[in-house]
Amino acid sequence: MSYFSNISSAITTLIDGMKVTLGYFVRPREHVTLQYPDEVWPIPTRNIGVGEIESYNTIRSKLVVDFEDCIGCKACERACPVNCIHIETFKAGPEEDIGTTKNGTKIKLRVTSFTIDMSECMFCDLCTHPCPEDCIRMTPDYQFISNDNVKLDVTPEERWRDRDHLIYQFSKVFPIERAQRQAEAEKVAEAKAAAMEAKKAAAERAASEKAAEQALEIETLTATPMESVASEAPVVTESPEVPVDQAQTTSSTLDRAPIEDDMVRVNLSMEIPVTPDIPVETPPSSEATAEPETSTDTEDSSKGETENG
Amino acid sequence: MIQLLANWILSFDILSGMGNSVAWGLSLFVVAALIFVFVALNAIVLVYIERKVSAFMQVRLGPMRVGKFGTLQTVADALKLLQKEDIIPKMADKVLFVVGPWVILVASVVTFAAIPFSDTLLAANMNIGLFYVVSISSIVVLGIVMSGWASNNKWSLYGAMRSAAQIISYEIPVGITLIAVVAVVGSLNLQTIIEAQGGTSNLFHWIPIPLPNWFIFHNPFLFMAAFVYLIGATAEINRTPFDIPESESELVAGFMTEFSGLRWALFFLSEYANATLVAFLVAIVFLGGWQSPFADYRGTQIGFSIITLVAIMWTLFVRAKTSRLSVYPVGLSLVITISAWLFPGFAIWMASPGIFWMLMKVGTIIFMLMWFRWTFPRLRVDQLMYVSWKVLLPLALINLMGVAIWMWLTGEIQF
Repeated sequence: MSYFSNISSAITTLIDGMKVTLGYFVRPREHVTLQYPDEVWPIPTRNIGVGEIESYNTIRSKLVVDFEDCIGCKACERACPVNCIHIETFKAGPEEDIGTTKNGTKIKLRVTSFTIDMSECMFCDLCTHPCPEDCIRMTPDYQFISNDNVKLDVTPEERWRDRDHLIYQFSKVFPIERAQRQAEAEKVAEAKAAAMEAKKAAAERAASEKAAEQALEIETLTATPMESVASEAPVVTESPEVPVDQAQTTSSTLDRAPIEDDMVRVNLSMEIPVTPDIPVETPPSSEATAEPETSTDTEDSSKGETENG
Repeated sequence: MIQLLANWILSFDILSGMGNSVAWGLSLFVVAALIFVFVALNAIVLVYIERKVSAFMQVRLGPMRVGKFGTLQTVADALKLLQKEDIIPKMADKVLFVVGPWVILVASVVTFAAIPFSDTLLAANMNIGLFYVVSISSIVVLGIVMSGWASNNKWSLYGAMRSAAQIISYEIPVGITLIAVVAVVGSLNLQTIIEAQGGTSNLFHWIPIPLPNWFIFHNPFLFMAAFVYLIGATAEINRTPFDIPESESELVAGFMTEFSGLRWALFFLSEYANATLVAFLVAIVFLGGWQSPFADYRGTQIGFSIITLVAIMWTLFVRAKTSRLSVYPVGLSLVITISAWLFPGFAIWMASPGIFWMLMKVGTIIFMLMWFRWTFPRLRVDQLMYVSWKVLLPLALINLMGVAIWMWLTGEIQF
């Protein structure tokens, strides 16, 4: 009789199963699906660590830098065990006032580049403690994805956050401005050096020619180098050839420099501005010269073939 | 319907010169196109419904992102499938590989030619309609074996062989249950079968509960035969729990392993066309087709009043929890009841036969098929054969004998 008991148990168990599924079908509001971008789980606020510091006891995720307070001391860069923070600074001019931090410290270094590679970051929180101005901190924001940079035809200014979404550029200095400032800094340094040399030469000449007592010629000779040093910038903009060379040199140095260190990925995405005259003009001219020749060639050959045929 | 369309075309002065045969051919083409469009749209809608039903049964949400509540998800999927690369494996039998899906699709679409949607809406009123549908839908197995063999793949071949064995096995109980119905009606014409189920009668003719005169309530043997047919038909269309020809855990995807893009979409199309066909057959043969469950408008009013009363009592006392089933259907039945009492015209429309009742019944059966699919575990190959040969076939034979004896005892058939 196991045959009939088999059939009856099959029927009863099947009906039991159908009851269960129908019960879930008529209560669809109990679903477990989370429609992720529209709704998210709440971030747990419980104490996950044992430290006394507040930031250690919460969720640690995306690093954020309050860039206005950064003094460029590179303490976080040195503290990082995986070297994912990269900072570039140079000294500000003596009269230049960059500002002060929220703690009242005067900022003495220009930070041209402050990048954090979030794909390498291991969220250890070690970089936040050495910061003297408390400007780098970890936030509970865990959503690294963004569609800001999906469009590829953005200008370099718009692309200050890297297209890989995970290299964050915190300095407000855009590549163009960065190159300009670097050039400015070089100019300032050159001007300083030139001024120093001129001063030295002037002092030497003054010393030697005081002994010779030729007052009129001395004044004119000393005045010219000082004037040229002071009015170097306007002179440069007036003459067309000089700035092109300068811009090219600066850009080429910027291009080559990062290949040697860890900054390769960051700098590859940045478009360092070259003066637009040279690359824009040359390709069309070469194409314009190339195109007619090839077309005439093909026409001639086709004509020849048809004639032969 | 074809002749009606031809006459309608010829009734225009401009078109009357084309001749009767040309008009007939044109309307034939139009009707065939209409059936194909019905099958295609039906598949698109049913795939969406199936995904939603399965999601609700598994406490999920299903497609939600494309369109409101994911309503355009299947349209997007269909467009994606149309755009995909047409891949034919290098070692495949190219002719059979190309022809196989089309054989399956044609076999499942052509059966709809004999299916009546309402008392006037059908393509061909055949006097052997039931025989035609059953025999033509069996050609599907030919296409499955063709595509499984042509794929030159062991999973595909296993799937095709299993499918052939399964369909041939389940044809027998299914055919015998249908013969039981034919014995009651005495006709193979689907319209005649439906017309025989009009009106009301007592349950099994002697329990004094007025019920529609459907064959499922005709006698206890036909009541059982309806379930035997539903189980056998589920196996015939390769749906879970009888989906061993394409069992994912054993045979990757069975006979459609090597197919992709448009050809794979054809398999899907025919799968849902077959499910709809089975639902139509159950509705026609056992549930009265396009016949209304109510005899007249008075019956509609009383019937809906009883349904609403039962639903309200059930909601209040049996199931206090709020759920979608208790809120929306109860409200709907309440609205229908009130309007049936207020407007006799509405009640008369509800009592009259038509496509509305047909589609309601078909929808219910399709939901039952989905319910089966997302509840039951798959049968083993030997269990499948056990169910067919040792359980369903004896049951079907007993039903046939029982129906014959019942008809003789009640005097509906004179020997």
